[in-house]
Amino acid sequence: MSLYEIRSMAVSIAGQRLVEDVSLTVEAGQCTALIGASGSGKSLTCLTPFGLTRGVAMGSMVLDGIDLGSADAARIREARCCFTGFIFQQPLTALTPHLTVGAQLQEATMQAGAARPSVRELVRQLERVGLSRADERLDQFPHRLSGGERQRVMIAAAIAHNPKLLVADEPTSALDASLRAEIMGLLYQLRIEQGLGLLLVSHDLASVEGHADQLVVMDRGRVVERGPASKVLSDAREDYTRRLIAATPRLQEPAPKLSRPGEILLETRGLGVTFDRPGWRRGKIQALADASLIIRQRESLAIVGGSGSGKSTIGRGIAGIGPVTEGEILWRGSMLPERRKRSLDMRRLIQPVFQDPVASLDPQWRVQDIVVEPLRNLRPGLTTAEYQEMARVALTNVDLAEEFLARWPTSLSGGQAQRVAIARAIIASPQLLVLDEATSALDPLVGAGILELLLRLQSENGISLLFITHNIAAARRLCHRIAVMEDGRIVETGTMREVIDHPAHPATQKLISAS
Amino acid sequence: MLKPRFPLVVVLAIILLALVLPFLLPWTYDQIDWDAVRAPAFSGAHIFGTDEIGRDRLARLAAGTRITLMVAIAAALVSLVVGIAWGATAGWIGGRVDEAMMRIVDGLYALPFMFIVILLMVVFGRSILLVFVGIGLVEWLTMARVVRGQVMALKQRPFILAAEAAGTPSRIIMLRHILPNIAGVALAYLMLTVPQVVMVESFLSFLGLGVQEPLTSLGILVKEGADDMDMSPLGLVLPGGLLVMLLVCLTIEGERLRDRFS
Amino acid sequence: MLALITRRLMTAIPTLLVIILGSFFLMRLAPGGPFDGERPLDPEARAALQKAYGLDQPLWEQAWLYLSRLVQGDFGPSLVYRDFTVSELIAQGLPISLTLGGLAIALALMIGVTAGLFAAVRAGKTADQTIMMAATVATALPTFVTGPALALFFGLWLGLLPVSGTGEGLSWLVMPVVALALPVSGAIAKLTRAGLATVLKQDHIRTARARGLSETKILFKHGLRPALVPVASYLGPAAAGLLTGAVVVETVFGLPGLGRYFVQGALNRDYPLVLGVVTLYAALIILFNLFADLLYGWLDPRMREG
Repeated sequence: MSLYEIRSMAVSIAGQRLVEDVSLTVEAGQCTALIGASGSGKSLTCLTPFGLTRGVAMGSMVLDGIDLGSADAARIREARCCFTGFIFQQPLTALTPHLTVGAQLQEATMQAGAARPSVRELVRQLERVGLSRADERLDQFPHRLSGGERQRVMIAAAIAHNPKLLVADEPTSALDASLRAEIMGLLYQLRIEQGLGLLLVSHDLASVEGHADQLVVMDRGRVVERGPASKVLSDAREDYTRRLIAATPRLQEPAPKLSRPGEILLETRGLGVTFDRPGWRRGKIQALADASLIIRQRESLAIVGGSGSGKSTIGRGIAGIGPVTEGEILWRGSMLPERRKRSLDMRRLIQPVFQDPVASLDPQWRVQDIVVEPLRNLRPGLTTAEYQEMARVALTNVDLAEEFLARWPTSLSGGQAQRVAIARAIIASPQLLVLDEATSALDPLVGAGILELLLRLQSENGISLLFITHNIAAARRLCHRIAVMEDGRIVETGTMREVIDHPAHPATQKLISAS
Repeated sequence: MLKPRFPLVVVLAIILLALVLPFLLPWTYDQIDWDAVRAPAFSGAHIFGTDEIGRDRLARLAAGTRITLMVAIAAALVSLVVGIAWGATAGWIGGRVDEAMMRIVDGLYALPFMFIVILLMVVFGRSILLVFVGIGLVEWLTMARVVRGQVMALKQRPFILAAEAAGTPSRIIMLRHILPNIAGVALAYLMLTVPQVVMVESFLSFLGLGVQEPLTSLGILVKEGADDMDMSPLGLVLPGGLLVMLLVCLTIEGERLRDRFS
Repeated sequence: MLALITRRLMTAIPTLLVIILGSFFLMRLAPGGPFDGERPLDPEARAALQKAYGLDQPLWEQAWLYLSRLVQGDFGPSLVYRDFTVSELIAQGLPISLTLGGLAIALALMIGVTAGLFAAVRAGKTADQTIMMAATVATALPTFVTGPALALFFGLWLGLLPVSGTGEGLSWLVMPVVALALPVSGAIAKLTRAGLATVLKQDHIRTARARGLSETKILFKHGLRPALVPVASYLGPAAAGLLTGAVVVETVFGLPGLGRYFVQGALNRDYPLVLGVVTLYAALIILFNLFADLLYGWLDPRMREG
């Protein structure tokens, strides 16, 4: 008998059916991964049987002999406290801010009725999840720990009472690439050691490959395909699954065919950015130091690194929307002045595209006004009709229909909003686009579409791309060359093939092994 | 945008009545009817009776409401303008300038402002202009804080950076991008400021420091009613009740707006 | 924590100085002195009085003189209540005002937090809506309306409670404290409920629920403290509001508290009295704000670094 089995389950919220006819199993000691885009119902599927969402679940959900569907609230609570452990997506907010780590861990250990643990026992729990200086941490408040450290505490708390089933809802989505691999490795290890069954939810196929025994793919509230992971990945039956697998970038896939670069367009020499510490504290923070790189015409350069590596800082400095305190930027050989002194003409040459598409559009403006804003500054004298025509053409270039002109940003999906943002960025014919994690917040299928769009724009318009990302596999699909960053410095550069096949710097090696 | 809701309707009704009544009643608010001193309500022509010197209560109520509302709206507008100017500037410029400007706000917040206003009243006389200005100066602090918070949050939003990259000058960014996005919150707090100002004005009038004779306000009416309450409680209940109703309705609507925009 | 206290005190002292000096100069610049009132004095007596109170010296010297005496605890003599120094008047009035204010805050917190909690736990149901409506109405009840209304109802009509003066026993406290506490309790109830409603939606509550804890435990152990943060930040402005409300209540109920002295002093241009009361109140509010900040830090450890 499986540890946890769901059969034909449906979930409704306020009378509306959001999940329909879902079945899956989790075996003891194995991992079942639930994959789907946002809105596919995967979180609802995992959490509703345990009473953790606003939804109501109907159907057969049997955990170790207990039927959750027919259980009353007290029994479900018992299922939560004694048999199951939970890990959630946002480590930064998942822990109670006014209780120490030790107090919360103690509560977790005792939740199934065990006796009060000794301090030594708590230290051991923290060490088991790889937390350094465990005894100090016990007395600290959660806000003192980093995101990765907090997630480890969450994991320790989730298994402290020796549950049989571990439900992890996107446990690594909010962490950067190298941490992701470590946390997944930790979960794997614990699963083997304790014989836990793991129900893992993710929107990113790549992060569960190699860890999942069973794969369940969901789309719009239904299960599209399920089966042993290796079989689904190599030989998917459904079209959706196949598209999803194709959309997920992998390092092993064949190299893309890219355009041929031309002359040097942009060069940075010893670029640096230093901030004063906020508030009254003394001292400075060096977000970027001694960064030198080159971008050619029709070329895509990837800047890859973890959070805090300085990749966004250099992108903003180049695009003229962030500060630059040392070094210089050269455009076709001549100096580009710092941010506020750039002329209109200079600004138009380099345009940014941001990570959060909807936040990059003014919610009080319509799409047609958003898209032509750069033109209004560059060529102020035109009539409204002329602007509107240019807006229409710009939208066509990004494969959006004319009806989007009158829409408001809040009515757009992530992918649509990003296309609008790209339309705005290219309307004044720039020569370099700075893309700061432009696909990271999008679902894999949508993100793959944006990458294709960018490739097409590059081959049609000859535009250069500076692609900032933490996902090296995605960068490979788009870029000729790559620069790896760590702690504000560029630690390795080279062509994509060189760097991936023969990574020299440990940071690069870590990033590659995490993919 | 604002569906017809009961509290809003009440407020508008009160305003309407306050404006229209002078044209409907044969008496002004300070006219003395020697034949009907202390007339009880519903006796004869005076609907709510007369006060201790024979002035029609309803007329006085309408006049008092007019003055109180006039002061409240004017002062709230003053606080809106000053608050937005201060808060938006501090939020937009940021850094040391913002720290200094907000430190001033924090310092002023800590003052027992009521006392300073009273001091000002005493020192510079009791002109209605000072009432407007004085009260507005008390209330702008909250608006400044709220606006500054909003502007700081907006400043980092990508669409502002995109506008900068598109070459839009700072002036236009402020006007076309920032202000429209804080308009909702500002309006909500404006609605909430009005009852605050009404309270301050009434309080001052109650103490004899606000609006002066021959003008009247709800605060003065409450004071007169309180002084006379053992003889005729209506003199207290009418203005007091109206004041409370006005405050409650304005607060409910203001909070509804605030919840909608935050 | 210590750094926070020190920092607050550092900003408090200049603020206090500004208030004192500001009020000082304001009063001095006012047209008409205390002697321009109803009783005209002959030039000799007037000159003598002016000298005694130092009113003939240049402004800066007067200020300096005042400050140096202030530090020693000498607020100067009252210009209107000729037989008393300001310190004596303050000593008389302060206990009454403090009692009123202290009781009012305690009452407001008790009623407000309980009502807010009750409403939040039954969010969306009729109990919640009724309590919140009552709280909104309470916030819109100015003390100068409720005070006389209470006096009318319980004092004149029912004859249960004294309408003015302190009288014997403690019954004189009931109506003034209730009138003072009502609007504050309404505000606290709303803040508590709103705070709790926000907190209960946060992630750490879901984590606690996932641990299988009882709803009560989740509420009190994980939810209450962050929910009270808005209440703690409100305490500072609440105290300021109470002080001004106390002025009204003392006037309405004829209580010899500081508020009444202040109003009398302001109307009669009794500078030392007015200055003394303003200084004292400002110091009290600053102190109270500091206390509220410390409370805030206990409720939410993230604020402890300042």
